[in-house]
Amino acid sequence: MPLVALRRVCKKFGSHVVLDNVDLEVAKGEVVAIVGRSGSGKSTLLRCINGLEFVDSGEIAVNGRPVTRSVADLRKLHREVGIVFQSYNLFPHLTVERNVMLGPAKGKGFPLGEARKLARDALAAVHLTDKLNDYPARLSGGQQQRVAIARALAMEPVLLLFDEITSALDPQLTGEVVRVLEELAAQGRTMILVTHEMGFARRAASQIIFMHNARIWEKGPPQQVLENSKTQELRTFLSAILRN
Amino acid sequence: MRTFGLSEFIFLLAAVRWTLLLSLVAFCGGIGFGFLIALARVGRFFILRVLAQAYIQVFQGTPVLIQLFIAYYGFAVLFDLRIEAWTAVSLAFTAYSAAFLGEIWRGAIQAIPRQQWESAECISLGYFAQLRYVILPQAFRIAIPPTVGFLVQLVKATSVAAIIGFIELTRAGQLMTNVTFQPMIIYPIVAALYFVICWPLSQFSRLLERRFDATRGITQGL
Amino acid sequence: MFGHRARRCPHFQPRMRYVFQFGIVADHTDELIHGALSTLWLTTCGAVGGLLLATLCVFLRTAGPKPVRWAIISYVEVIRNTPFLVQLFVLYFSLPALGVRLYAEQAAILGLAISFGGYATEILRSGIEAVPRGQIEAARALGLRPFKIFRRIIVYQAFKIVYPALASQVVILLLGSSIVSAISATELTAITNSLQSQTFRAFEFYFVAAAIYLGMAFATKAVLASLYWLMFVRGREA
Repeated sequence: MPLVALRRVCKKFGSHVVLDNVDLEVAKGEVVAIVGRSGSGKSTLLRCINGLEFVDSGEIAVNGRPVTRSVADLRKLHREVGIVFQSYNLFPHLTVERNVMLGPAKGKGFPLGEARKLARDALAAVHLTDKLNDYPARLSGGQQQRVAIARALAMEPVLLLFDEITSALDPQLTGEVVRVLEELAAQGRTMILVTHEMGFARRAASQIIFMHNARIWEKGPPQQVLENSKTQELRTFLSAILRN
Repeated sequence: MRTFGLSEFIFLLAAVRWTLLLSLVAFCGGIGFGFLIALARVGRFFILRVLAQAYIQVFQGTPVLIQLFIAYYGFAVLFDLRIEAWTAVSLAFTAYSAAFLGEIWRGAIQAIPRQQWESAECISLGYFAQLRYVILPQAFRIAIPPTVGFLVQLVKATSVAAIIGFIELTRAGQLMTNVTFQPMIIYPIVAALYFVICWPLSQFSRLLERRFDATRGITQGL
Repeated sequence: MFGHRARRCPHFQPRMRYVFQFGIVADHTDELIHGALSTLWLTTCGAVGGLLLATLCVFLRTAGPKPVRWAIISYVEVIRNTPFLVQLFVLYFSLPALGVRLYAEQAAILGLAISFGGYATEILRSGIEAVPRGQIEAARALGLRPFKIFRRIIVYQAFKIVYPALASQVVILLLGSSIVSAISATELTAITNSLQSQTFRAFEFYFVAAAIYLGMAFATKAVLASLYWLMFVRGREA
């Protein structure tokens, strides 16, 4: 049974169609990279999987349970699905350690000692144990993004979502973040990323999905999608990306 | 007829106590109720939002003096009992403060970007946990300068209590004028006493504004 | 109305024997309208006078010699840190010592204008500081020598920026005008006071007065908002 299953998912914002009959399956341990132009619906797709947005029609199931609008169900969903945003969205008034501890402590209700241990392990996974007592403002963009990843990891999720997490970073800072992503992929975590990092996608993804105008136009293993693109749109998109 | 001298000045100073006490009581009460009103205003229940909004609009859209008259004369006639001046003014100014502070706090909460709510939601925090650990601590910092600024507004507003005879600084000035017939000295002195109370608070509010605006640069990522 | 309850529970004493009689208020509609119009009149005079005063003050504050600048700053700080009622008392009761004896209505308008002027000066000043430097530099670069055109760019932009704050201040002025009833100037609150003491219908009259003020506040906001649209939005580029 796939960890994530989307069936005929449709969504509109007003009259603008953002998702048009999207079908997708992600198995446990898969790393899926979603690529495409901005506005093609990629971020919305991710946010629908996480319950931040709701679909107009179709079904989404995560870890065997459907994604509903019920507040209790959503809280359970958020314990299983971690998400990292493009603008990190760390809590500026909390130290790095407390940022990461907050989820386990107050979201999952773990005692403080256990939450702290989870936080430290998560920060070790992103190589930031020396920044425990710093405030986010003193960290670089790459470090802040890694803290955001640790914040998601500390919840011990079965699925990790990444929404263009390197797009806002200076080029020299993306390397440290991509390295963490590769380590997570190598650990066998299930990950869905919306990304422009084609290098990472080629190396680590088990599936690449190309979205265009609210639909999935191509999906498959990296070699197939990147080298033998079937559609003209994908080829145009790739040449535009690779040119830069 | 007396001339204005030290004992008259001391009378004014004694009245300052009442101005300060009234301001403090109304301010503290206003913070408590204003907090509830702000939560109602940004909350999930439509009816609470509407009621809170109506409350704010009424108190911000009517003169303080009329509010005071309703509290002192209006309710007295309504319930056929004599309300003490202190009770009427403290209730009226508490309600007044709650409206303004509620509005200030609403603005502070709504100034926190949506992404903070979302991030908190995504680590499985419930609505009240989101407020308590993520939103309110940040809103608090934003709300402090205008809250201190409102305190100045409140101290000035308490002067209106003189009109219903409540003895605070302005009323004391009137009484002294009736006794000494020297309004040209007394009222400027009364003004100076208010100035001594309000101006440091205004400066403090400006200082806070600058400090918190500088630290607002500590945002999340972008 | 509570008779049957009183029979069953002899200790039940309803507190409110009051019967609302808003009809009595309706009988005095003319006087209330007169009061409302007086309030609007006072507010308009205060706002216009205060705005003119503020324009002068903000100009002197930026372009005048040091003692004048300090005087303006002091004026603004005094107005903003003392109650309006006390300012009124100074104008009405303290000035006669210097030979200036004002009628209540004169003192009221003067007091409102001076008070509004103080707040407006500060608002205008912040508006001028908020005009993007780039605009001024561009104007200079374009060789817009004529001082009049140059001033128009700053003043127009500043006014547009602070218009909402000024509009709010006008509403505050409207509500603050009720305080002039303390020196017996004719406006809505004073009239309401005398009516309620004549008829012993304190609650009804003050309630209706509050509603009238609320209505006037909303109307003022609406009028000022349309004025903004007329002046800054219709048929003009940003």
